[in-house]
Amino acid sequence: MRDNLAAETDLGSDMDALFLRSLQSYVSEIFGAGRWHAVCRHAGLTVDSFEPMLRYERGTADRIALVAAEVLGRPVEAIWEDVGIHLVTNPEREGIRRLLRFGGVTFADFLYSLEELPGRARLAMPDLDLPDVTLDEVGEDRFDLHCQSYLRATQRVLIGLLTAMADDYGALCLIEPKADDCTSILVLDRRHATARRFDLALPKV
Amino acid sequence: MLRHDDRIVLDGATLAQFMPMHLLLDGEGRALSFGPTLAQVLQANAVPGARFEDLFEVRSPGGAVTVGQVLARGANRFRLLPRSGVRVGLRGLARTLPGSGRILLNLSFGMDLVAAVRDLALTDADFAATELAMELLYMAEANAAVTRELRGLNLRLEGARIAAEEEAMTDPLTGLRNRRAADLVLERLCAARAGFGLLHMDLDYFKAVNDTLGHAAGDHVLSTVGRILREQLRAEDCAARIGGDEFVVILAGRTEPKMLQTIADRIIARICQPMEFEGQVCTVSASIGIVRSLDLAVPEPVQLLAAADRALYSAKHAGRGRAVLLVTRGE
Repeated sequence: MRDNLAAETDLGSDMDALFLRSLQSYVSEIFGAGRWHAVCRHAGLTVDSFEPMLRYERGTADRIALVAAEVLGRPVEAIWEDVGIHLVTNPEREGIRRLLRFGGVTFADFLYSLEELPGRARLAMPDLDLPDVTLDEVGEDRFDLHCQSYLRATQRVLIGLLTAMADDYGALCLIEPKADDCTSILVLDRRHATARRFDLALPKV
Repeated sequence: MLRHDDRIVLDGATLAQFMPMHLLLDGEGRALSFGPTLAQVLQANAVPGARFEDLFEVRSPGGAVTVGQVLARGANRFRLLPRSGVRVGLRGLARTLPGSGRILLNLSFGMDLVAAVRDLALTDADFAATELAMELLYMAEANAAVTRELRGLNLRLEGARIAAEEEAMTDPLTGLRNRRAADLVLERLCAARAGFGLLHMDLDYFKAVNDTLGHAAGDHVLSTVGRILREQLRAEDCAARIGGDEFVVILAGRTEPKMLQTIADRIIARICQPMEFEGQVCTVSASIGIVRSLDLAVPEPVQLLAAADRALYSAKHAGRGRAVLLVTRGE
């Protein structure tokens, strides 16, 4: 196993960095810092913290997640879905939920806005390298979300994000992986519950 | 194809939907209708018949007060401040409509968008679907988030740098500074022409402890000496291990011979007390050579260390377990 994971500047991937940091936050906040250290130790890492703004070797996130699955005794798919949910629901990272809510007033608007997501992200970070997302409306309230990524984690993190955002909008949905690069979304009830409040402007601090 | 001078008819509802920030005035500058979002900005002032100059203060073009003056100045873009007390600037475009002589203004928040949205609690529905308001709000928050992340990264890198620097300056066995750190402190004090005392200390009988009781006992002695020095010195002093059983102590601001002698004697007395290691007693002593920065005409680290070394040699020669202050004249 490779031991040196020094962050790369020119090479390497943003996606790995973002996923690794998200995984780190999820494991340390839900299972405790000790479990995260155990993951890093088992993975043979010389560091125990990943920087979201740096780049790491492509595929690192998938590799570390397999170790986390072993340490936590949970399937890697479930871990990545939880990471996606945690990103949206963790009150300390309210920013991500807010940025996603700018996508639209309703959950359907939000789904349509997913195609703009990489472009929106690049507005803030021009050199960010995110995979393309396309949404096909295959029937009434039925969508296929396509996203091709070299990371296996991507689809499951997206499923987690979508699940949490559906909840945020008060929509009842069935979200399932269809193929490696395709996720099906079935909106069962657009107004199943009250949407969480969203003010366009952040309160003045 | 619509020709340049063709006219189209717009009903009020469509106008409000397409331009939620419009203001329609009669030829005299009296309000006929307000877009719903502009009405929120103007608050109680948004009443039919209100005069343009009572609704707004014109910021540019300078000197214009009435809408007629704004139009007469031919300003393609003008800037207004609402008199309602809402503190947002507005940017606008105005035209006299052909035929009726009515005046149509369309306004926007420009760079004050974020403040307007916050102060007026505006929602998505207050903006035309074609407006880039949501994108601007999104960008403001996304940028703030990225900046926050970068600041966090900088703080963490700075922390790591300080820790690495600290490590590079520390002797891990004794917890004292190392040779490099001592050299830096000496250089700094000499460059600043600061007065200080320099102790050069060498342990006596240390080799005997190492040879008879082993290296672990020797290490124990060294770390005990480290603790003694830390206890005997102030935070602004610098104690360093610069070789196997060789130490340097820099006493900032201390140049009084009696004071330096007392400190050195106290250190020796503490080191002479037997140290226990795994049931064995290790006995060492220490010799110290003392110099003062002001004993040299131009204090330089190399000369000071050499002078301290000569004082140390005298101390060893005089029977060990003692401190000797070297008074060098005219050097």
